[in-house]
This record gives sequence, C-alpha cells and structure tokens, in this order.
Amino acid sequence: MEYRERKTRWKLIFFGSLSGTILVMLLCLTIGAVDISVGETFGIVVSKILKLGSYFNFPQYPASHEVIIWQVRLPRIILASAVGAALAAVGGVFQGLFKNPMADPYVLGISAGASLGAASAIAFQLQSVIGFFAVPAAAFAGALASTFTVYCLGKVRTGVSVYTLLLAGVALSAFFSAITSFIIVLHSRETHQIVFWMMGGFSGTTWLHVKTAVPVICGGILLLYCFARELNAMLFGDNTARHLGIDLNRVKKAILILAAMTTAAAVAVSGTIGFVGLIIPHMVRLMVGPDHRILLPAAAVFGAAFMVLTDTVARTILAPAEIPVGVLTAFFGGPFFIYLLRKKKSEFI
Amino acid sequence: MKGLSLNIDKLSFSYGSQKILEDLTVQFQAGSFVSIIGPNGSGKTTLLKNISAALVPQKGKVLLQGQDVLRIKPKKLARQMAVVPQDTAVNFAFTVFETVLMGRMPYLKRFESESDRDVAVARWAMEVTHTWHLKDRSITEISGGERQRVIVARALAQEPQVILLDEPVAHLDPQHQMELLELLQTLKESKNLTVVTVLHDLNLAAQFSDYVVLLHKGKVFAAGRPEEVLTVKNIEQVYRVEVVIIPNELTGRFNIIPVAKSTPPQGKLRNCRIHLVCGGGSGAFIMDRLVRSGYQVSCGVLNIGDNDWRKARELGIEIAYEAPFSPISEKAYQKNERLLDRADVVVLLSLPFGAGNLSNLEQVYSALKQGKKVLVVGDRNLAGRDFTGGKATDLYDAIVKDGAVLLAEVKDIFNVLETMY
Repeated sequence: MEYRERKTRWKLIFFGSLSGTILVMLLCLTIGAVDISVGETFGIVVSKILKLGSYFNFPQYPASHEVIIWQVRLPRIILASAVGAALAAVGGVFQGLFKNPMADPYVLGISAGASLGAASAIAFQLQSVIGFFAVPAAAFAGALASTFTVYCLGKVRTGVSVYTLLLAGVALSAFFSAITSFIIVLHSRETHQIVFWMMGGFSGTTWLHVKTAVPVICGGILLLYCFARELNAMLFGDNTARHLGIDLNRVKKAILILAAMTTAAAVAVSGTIGFVGLIIPHMVRLMVGPDHRILLPAAAVFGAAFMVLTDTVARTILAPAEIPVGVLTAFFGGPFFIYLLRKKKSEFI
Repeated sequence: MKGLSLNIDKLSFSYGSQKILEDLTVQFQAGSFVSIIGPNGSGKTTLLKNISAALVPQKGKVLLQGQDVLRIKPKKLARQMAVVPQDTAVNFAFTVFETVLMGRMPYLKRFESESDRDVAVARWAMEVTHTWHLKDRSITEISGGERQRVIVARALAQEPQVILLDEPVAHLDPQHQMELLELLQTLKESKNLTVVTVLHDLNLAAQFSDYVVLLHKGKVFAAGRPEEVLTVKNIEQVYRVEVVIIPNELTGRFNIIPVAKSTPPQGKLRNCRIHLVCGGGSGAFIMDRLVRSGYQVSCGVLNIGDNDWRKARELGIEIAYEAPFSPISEKAYQKNERLLDRADVVVLLSLPFGAGNLSNLEQVYSALKQGKKVLVVGDRNLAGRDFTGGKATDLYDAIVKDGAVLLAEVKDIFNVLETMY
C-alpha cells in the first residue's frame, strides 16, 4: 500500500541527496585558488586514504599540492559539511519543537553566548594563556551557558514552556550582544578579529577542528533523529503529544540538550553562520513534507551541501582574499528562499 | 476487552489563586457512557484534563482501575486512555492518514516501523469515523468538522479502553453529531469502552448517557442517571434558564426545551385581563411572557395533560379544563364563558380544531360579536388545521372578517397590547 511506498521514497530521497552531497564535496575539493587538476586531486586523496603509495606506483605529486588538498581543503570541506548539517538539522528540530517557522538554531541565545565567549577570549588574549583552542573553547562554553540560562528561565511549574523559552532566548541574546558590543568598543585593536569571527567562516580549519567538532555534531544529529516521531506528535501540541504517550518533559529536555550541544560544537569552530538553520529546513519541508523522520536527515544532507558550496564560493571568488561565509549564506539563501515562497503560494509550513 | 473504571477522589485544582475544581468526588463505571455537563466556566474541561493527567491537581487524585493516573507511565497510559481535545487546529501539513497513524505511537518501540496491523487499525478507525476518503488530504486543508472526526479516528487508533472527549460534536453538523455519538455508543457496547465526554447539548446528553455529571462552580451539583440529573429544577438552578422536559418517544429518552431566561416576574401588575384560546403547546410561550409582563392571564378550554395545560398550571393561572381526550363538557364550557366575559382581550392562537374543541371557536366568535377585542395569531385561513369538515373554517373566516386583528407572529401580540395599554 501507499504507506510502504512512502518509506521507499524516503530512502530514495535520502540516499540520492547523500550521494549528491558527496559528489559536491569531491567537486569542491578540486576547486581553489591554486589550480590543481581533478586527476591529481583524487590521486592525492586516494593515496592518502588507502596508504597504497608503497604498494602501487602512484605518480609523485608536488608536496605543496598534497598539503593544499590534504591539510587545507579536505578538513575545511568536511567541517563545512558537518556545520551545515548541524545547523540545518537543529533548525528543523527547533521549528518543530517551538511550532514556530521563525525558529533557528540560535533562538535560545546560542549565537549571542558563543559570540560573547569568543569575543572575550579574543579581547583578553586567552590564546596566549591556554593556547590555540581558546577561542573555540570559549565560544562553546558561552553557547552552553546561554542555553542553560535560557532553559532555567523557561522552566515553569508544569515543565518547560516553549513560549517562555523563546522569549527568554530573545531577551538573553539582546543582553549578551550588548556585552559583546561593549567588549568590542573597549578593545578596538581586536575589533576586526572579533567581527570576522562573528560573521562566521572556515578559514584556518585544521584536522584538529574536524576531530573535535565532527564527532559531537554527528552524534548529536543521530541522537536528535531518534526523537523524530516525538517531534511529529509535538507539532500537534503539548497535550496531544502527552496523550500519545510521550514523556514530554524528559523528551523536551533531551532534545534541548542535544540541540544545544550540536549547535555549540558547530558554532565554536565556525562562528555564527546565519540563515542556513532557518531556510534549509523550510526548503526541505517544501520538498518532502513535515514528517521529521525524513525532514531531519534530508535537512542535514542539504545543509551540508549548501554549506560546502557557499564556502567554496567564499574562498575562491575573491581569491586570494576570503569572504566570510555567513555573508554568502544570506546573500544566496535569502533570494532563493523568497523565490520558493512566491512559487508555493499556499500557506507555508 | 474489559473496560476500565475511573475514580475521581476529592480532586481540587486551581490556576494560581483561582479555584476551578473543589473537592470533587465522582465514579465512572467501566463500559459506561458518561456526560459531563455544566455552564461555561464550571470546570468541565479542567476536570477532563485532570483525568487525562495533562494537569496535576493540588489535592486528590484520579484512579484508573485503582491506579493513580499520574503514576502510570505515559506510554502505558496512552494505550489505555485516549483523549480528543477541544481545539484541534494544526499548522503542519501532515496527511490525514499520517495523523491517524500517529495514534499507534504508544505501541511502537523507538525504531520500530508501523506494522501491517498498525496500518489496519488506523484504517479501521478512519472507516468507522467516515474519514477514509480524506486519507491523502492535508490535515490543514480539511474542514473543522472533518478534522474533528480525524482526531477522533486517531484516538480510536490508540485502541483505548477509556476515551475522553472535550466537546466532540461542537463543530459537527447534526448528521455527524449523531453518527459520532452512535459510534461511541456502539464501541461502548461491543468493546466495553468507557466514554467520558463533555457535552454542551443537554438533549444529546439525555439521549446517549448512562451517567451524567452536572458541574456547577467547580463542584458536582448532581450526578446519576440522566433522568435524575436533568431535571427542570437542576437545570434552572445551574443554567438560569427555564426549560420544559418532554418525553421523546423516538429515542425512549426525553427532550429538554429551553423556554426563557429564568427571571422573576416583574412585580407591577397591569390592569388588563387576557384570555388565551390555545392547545398543544401553542400558548406556552406567550402565556409565560404575558405573566412576566404583569398581565392577568387565563386560558381555556384545555385538556388535562396538554402542554399548555401543564404550563398554565405551573404559572398558576386560571384555566377552563376538560378531562384528557374528551370533548368539551357543559361545565368546562361555562367556566370558559366566565373567563371570556371577564377578559379585556381574547387571543386565538394557532391550533388545530376538531369536533372536540370546536366550541372554543364558537365562543370566540360570540365574544367578538359582543364587542370584545380579539387577536388572531396565524394565517388568514385555517388550511390544514380544520378537522371538522369545514365548520371550523367557516367560523374562523367569520372571526377574521368581522373585526378580529390578524397577527402573523405570537410576538406581535405585545405590539398591539403596548398601543392599547
């Protein structure tokens, strides 16, 4: 019956778009400021991954090209895809949890908290104290601290009220942004660095970034996916979800923690990249419908592809200079989203 | 399937300082149809939410087959009890079938897909609620009444032993109101389902319930079988409307007809006597209104047991009456004559005439001849109301021709009276 067909369709959508995304990632690996041919690129990747150099006779690639592909482009593309997937998936989760089409991964003050953490670390020169990872660590801590504060503010007698959460998120974001601005004013020498971080981007990505952030992000998305069915029921309202046997307070708490961890990990290594978490879930919902069991995986895959593509544009279009990728996500995403809105004239979500 | 009983034990609930339910104790038997009725703000929905564990009471508890609902695991509770809330609006475009299939959630493990049986149960639930044809439509696109039935289908897909419904027929047309309540009644009988529903329509409550709980200001005002709870006195005290209760031969139950807002008669008596010629309920409304407005009312000739006779007795007005189903006797005729003599105005209402009550018309005609003011409510002719083979029609025509004032509606009587007095 049709119900079974739908499951097959979902699989097709997911694996189709996943292959597409991997293709996009490979393609973007060949594009860059330094001209390296497609064959050479894949040769380097294959030889590195399979460590077959000693068995087969791979041509000797220039060491500089190896560094560019393996140490610069590949980690950057992997991190961009993970961050894109994280933002899009969490955006989808939050739009469902808050039953609000305006929700994005930053509604609980994560971006403001991370910015405050990063700005403090940059302004107070924490790198010289704790080293290279000071800024991401401070951003991560700021993101979690702000989410936790918002969560505590949002707790009411009977559990967690999503509306109180939203409002607390808005208020705390404004408060943290004010402090960040104040720090920027006081430390004008670091202004450029702070603002650049806040616009978001992947320049300077290393394997260390990938190794710390990607496992958290992947684990977070997978665990959030476990709550897809609960999220579906929650779209019908808290009471309906409860009547369908969902332990609502526990589920909400778990979703909030997972979403906050995932977003914080993404933001810590990439800054606050806007718009991806808002438009990708909407775009995907227009294509596959509101069921979170397909919406979340599809959003993650599309978010990854979108982020890799925009980052590639960001690092090549003005090469050797770079545009912060957050500028481009909004620049391309905004008009495209408006086009979709106009095309689908019926009510949106 | 054995049904489950519900015990509500000394339940108190308040929103902040506002007490909604106070020390409420009531029991629902397994496999019974329970209606919760009461005016707006009497706590019906709050009671339902306390039963479904959506709200946590400050005092007391709700026991489902002896177990505190708050201590039952949500998933297990959802397999035993389903809820149809009042507000069923949805913003996200799930299809109707997906929505109903969600009713199977309490039976699924985390990564388990819906089995063929789950799909079959959902289909059954949609077929009995007549929503199967909507299965591929979006839940956001169907009408409010259709959505209500879809939500009932989802609740039934949970295969519950208790179903709680908050105003389930509010958005439904009469056909679907009946179908839904009959469906619940059938499931009650075939599956021993315990049905607990908030209803606004007292007649539906009277027709379908085994047990009725009348709430008033957060307390149980009365609880019991419909005929014990839905009495004229109870309804008047709680709803502040006056009603008439008449047996309904078609359902074997009874009907409740609101008559007027229950306000005490306005004290001032007018010096105007009005005699009503009525019967079969044609005069009940105007009788009541005239008495309230301070007119001195009499009526006749009425048969004992007639609706107008009952109403007249209730109001304590003077009646010329006759034994049930008997033609008007000399004694009743004389009594009517006296009442007619005393009256300032005679009102002839829209009632049928047969051999038994033809004398009423004769008396009205002679009163008119003696110069009494006569008001006639109804059509220009007696078409369809004459069972005397033309005698009544002749009299009626004569009355209308010889100076009676013809009024289209009962209410017009007041306009005429206002200009006179």
